[in-house]
Amino acid sequence: MVDHYVSNARAAARARRREAGDVASFVRRLDWLLIGAVGGVVGYGLWAIEGITRHDIAGDQSYYLTRQIVFVLVGSVGLLAAMLVDPEFYRTRWRLIFGGTASVIALVLLTGPIRGSKRWLDLGFFRFQPSEFGKVLFVLALAGFLAERSRRLSEVRTTLTAVGLASIPIFLVFLQPDFGSALVYCAAIAAVLFVAGTPWSHIGALTAGALGIAVLVLGVLPGIGMPLLKKYQEDRLTGFLHPDSDPGGTTYNITQSKNAIGSGQFHGRGVDNATQTTLNFLPEHHTDFVFASLAEERGFVGTAFLLMLYLLVVWRGLRIVALARDSFSAIVAGGLVFALLFQVFVNVGMTMGIAPITGIPLPFVSVGGSSMIANLFAVGLLLSIQVRSRRR
Amino acid sequence: MGKRVASRRFLPPDPRAEEPYRLTPKLALRVGLLGMLAIAVFATLFLRLWSLQILNGEQLLRAAQNNQLRDVRVQAPRGPILDRNGQKLVTNVPGLAVQVRITDLPKRRGLRLREIRALARLVQVPVSQLGNTLRRHRNDPLTPVKVKENVTPGLAFYVQERAEDFPGVQIVRSYLRYYPHRELAAHVLGYVSEISGAQLKALGKQGYRGGDTIGQTGIESRYDQYLRGAPGLAQLRVDSLGRPIGQVTTKTPPHSGNAVRLTLDVKVQKAAEDALRYGIDRAQHSGCSGCWYSNGGAIVALDPRDGSIRALASLPTYRPSLYVGRVRRSALDAAGLTPRSARSMNYPALDRAIQAAYPPGSTFKPVTALAAMQEHILQPFESLPCTGTYVKNGQTFKNWDPFVNEAMTLPTALARSCDTYFYQVGYRFYGMPADRGPRLQAWASRFGFGHTTGVDLGSESPGLLPTPDWRKKTFTKKTDPGHWQIDRLWKPGDSIQLAIGQKDLLVTPMQMARFYALIANGGKLVTPHLLEDVEQPSSNGEPGRVVPTAPPPAPEPTNIDAQALAVVREGLYEATHSALGTSAAIFGSFPVPISGKTGTAEKSIDPGDGYPRNFNQSWWCGYGPSDSPDLVVCALIENGGHGGDAAAPAALKVFEAFFGKQATQTGPIHSD
Repeated sequence: MVDHYVSNARAAARARRREAGDVASFVRRLDWLLIGAVGGVVGYGLWAIEGITRHDIAGDQSYYLTRQIVFVLVGSVGLLAAMLVDPEFYRTRWRLIFGGTASVIALVLLTGPIRGSKRWLDLGFFRFQPSEFGKVLFVLALAGFLAERSRRLSEVRTTLTAVGLASIPIFLVFLQPDFGSALVYCAAIAAVLFVAGTPWSHIGALTAGALGIAVLVLGVLPGIGMPLLKKYQEDRLTGFLHPDSDPGGTTYNITQSKNAIGSGQFHGRGVDNATQTTLNFLPEHHTDFVFASLAEERGFVGTAFLLMLYLLVVWRGLRIVALARDSFSAIVAGGLVFALLFQVFVNVGMTMGIAPITGIPLPFVSVGGSSMIANLFAVGLLLSIQVRSRRR
Repeated sequence: MGKRVASRRFLPPDPRAEEPYRLTPKLALRVGLLGMLAIAVFATLFLRLWSLQILNGEQLLRAAQNNQLRDVRVQAPRGPILDRNGQKLVTNVPGLAVQVRITDLPKRRGLRLREIRALARLVQVPVSQLGNTLRRHRNDPLTPVKVKENVTPGLAFYVQERAEDFPGVQIVRSYLRYYPHRELAAHVLGYVSEISGAQLKALGKQGYRGGDTIGQTGIESRYDQYLRGAPGLAQLRVDSLGRPIGQVTTKTPPHSGNAVRLTLDVKVQKAAEDALRYGIDRAQHSGCSGCWYSNGGAIVALDPRDGSIRALASLPTYRPSLYVGRVRRSALDAAGLTPRSARSMNYPALDRAIQAAYPPGSTFKPVTALAAMQEHILQPFESLPCTGTYVKNGQTFKNWDPFVNEAMTLPTALARSCDTYFYQVGYRFYGMPADRGPRLQAWASRFGFGHTTGVDLGSESPGLLPTPDWRKKTFTKKTDPGHWQIDRLWKPGDSIQLAIGQKDLLVTPMQMARFYALIANGGKLVTPHLLEDVEQPSSNGEPGRVVPTAPPPAPEPTNIDAQALAVVREGLYEATHSALGTSAAIFGSFPVPISGKTGTAEKSIDPGDGYPRNFNQSWWCGYGPSDSPDLVVCALIENGGHGGDAAAPAALKVFEAFFGKQATQTGPIHSD
């Protein structure tokens, strides 16, 4: 035991010395464009939230802003920590990560429902939403699994096992019910398989299977009187296909959201004239529909700028996929970047009526601690991969 | 640190060695595909954003603005109604009303019912009634429903403070009609209430909307177009729950209704109503047969030169204020204003001056006299025997005074109201060639009987002027199976009784007043009217600008021989001044010379005991001063006995008020 301790301590000391000498080059190697882009999105998001929630809580104009800043600070610590940890750490512990994530999500199901769904763990000072962190951890776990089997990717069994593993957290999240997160998990598993190098034939079969399930759930099962989804879930998913069907009910949000976005026009209406937001016509305008509020207050100029920043983040992220040191890193980066892209598209598309209403927050902008911290942690992971990539 | 056996691990790693990792072309392709997907996604989002914000921006902006602006109709204060001297007969008092916007009520049935119950308790309206009111307006959900008018400021404040608990409920300013003289001229003024569905259908094109107040009867209805003003339009900012935010901004200010100035004179009107009460009281205490049942009547006072009505009274009456605010059925019931209770209260809603027709009795004799002279079947100073009875074809017609027996000329016959004299004149009419038609009726019709007078007051009874044709049409096998073959014929008795205004003839007090105005003004038929002018409201208390209105029809000449008219006027003067004149005891001592005629008309009435019998309707019509008349008064007391008992003393009261002079003494009355 003593030997072991000594050798460990020596190794650690060696490592510390190396690290200290390498700090300068470490910092230099970082992708400052990515950091700048993420910082831009976060800062811009804070500025947007400041305007959007200014009239929400009477007497405390910066209630949401203050909270969001705290989340950003906590998330930044997470980002730094993630950046310093070698991805190898996760690769070897993917089973633990998988088991832990699935258990915590399962634990949520045992708690009492909040606003009709069981998504949160109440820690007293913070209401913690495991499914948000799950998005990152889930990618890590599956990437670990697939990296181990990089030689046997062409086997059907590998793909099926991966899908089988993935289906456990997806199912648990779906039960909460948190349909949006379940969709993000699906997107992430698709991206993970895709980047890992799963044969096209498997991907094709999975796509067909997914489409078949969608048709079954949305079309056939309700048709024969065995609906799997709740009626409102189904309406939300298909509502954007026929927007004028029920303006007072299901599509109310979408109508108001489109009015909000359109009324921003080119320059935006400003904070005080944004009636859709300030008068509460637009529901959930600091969370799910934050993009519509931003569009109303800041106009096309403001929204286009935000989308450009997202595009920059995605570009730098994909670059990391290509540069990654090993297969695990590449898969993780691919999964994270695609999950981000998917969330941006579904959220922004939802507010503009071209994607279903699913309750996915807008990354880095929507008010919400779990989402912000998890997303910053994911950026830390990307940077960790990038800084250890092949090309120096 | 023991190494774990690989095979026992959950999903063990691939035992084959890993190659050093490099970017394979396969991965490069996949990353490239992901990049293209990302570009496609962002392109889609940009295009959609462009389409919404730039291409459809203006349209969606308008939608967003309409979202939060509610149009609110701002009630205009209704114009006041004034008497000819500017005294206010009807004005407004501002009040607060509780309105419900049906669309803003909670969507969930349970919540909605709870709110309605809470609101009903608050405004003290039965829940069922409130529910019915809201249900009635279900088809017009955009118009707010007024559920209670005239709430206290405290209650209004309470509701506004708890707007959260009462979504869809709002407090609005409203104007309520106020009647400073209580029931004075109630029938003339009429009342206002919320527009009914049927009215809305008929008047929707004229700018009326659901929830508007509209005049229902009388002047309020007739001149609603001037009184109502123009409602303004205001916009109210609301939040997504329909709760008002900030101030109401006025888009178009409401225009107050115009003031309607009537020809009525409050002083004369008051006198007329008091006179009616006095006349009824006199009748009830006169001890005459059936006069105990006297409980109604009408007085018309008008200017004979142009037909301006100075007073229009009808009893029994009601307080129009019963219709102000929330109308309580029990209050209407108690006032006799519902079909159920109207009969027991002797129909207070009926304007007896224009809507009720009575046999005129002797007040009709001047018609007969004028017609006979115009037809040259009677010489004015021809002496005819006035006897106690008149027998024709075996039928006996009685004189009201059975003891008279002397020869009379026309003025005397009028002054003493000799029935038998006029029976003979009536029979002369019967004897006229049939091919010339019924001449007495023709003249009566020319004098305004048998058709409406055209007074600006809504529904008016035309009365009934019986003719041979009317008999033929009215009495058929169907309507009168027992005696139709006899009843359909015009018999001598019909002409004889018509000459003294009896049997089938029915006239309204207004028609009678109009005819006496014709005598007074030298033969011109005036159109009685109430509208003096319409004035725009003025803020500084000065009379406002006069709004052009259609003038009342000019008096129509009837081309009566001035000589004949003079004879009748002489007769009417003698009736009030010669020793045996029927109302000389009443008017003889009045400082202003008054001319006029009493009337006692028999009308078959069921007083409520199931036995219809004849009751005397007490009439007096006349004018003064006799030589250049300023005022015509026609008074009728239902079941009032002889004309001189009730109607003539009542009419005198009106003259007293009009001329501001008192009669010194009244003597014993001997009249028909």
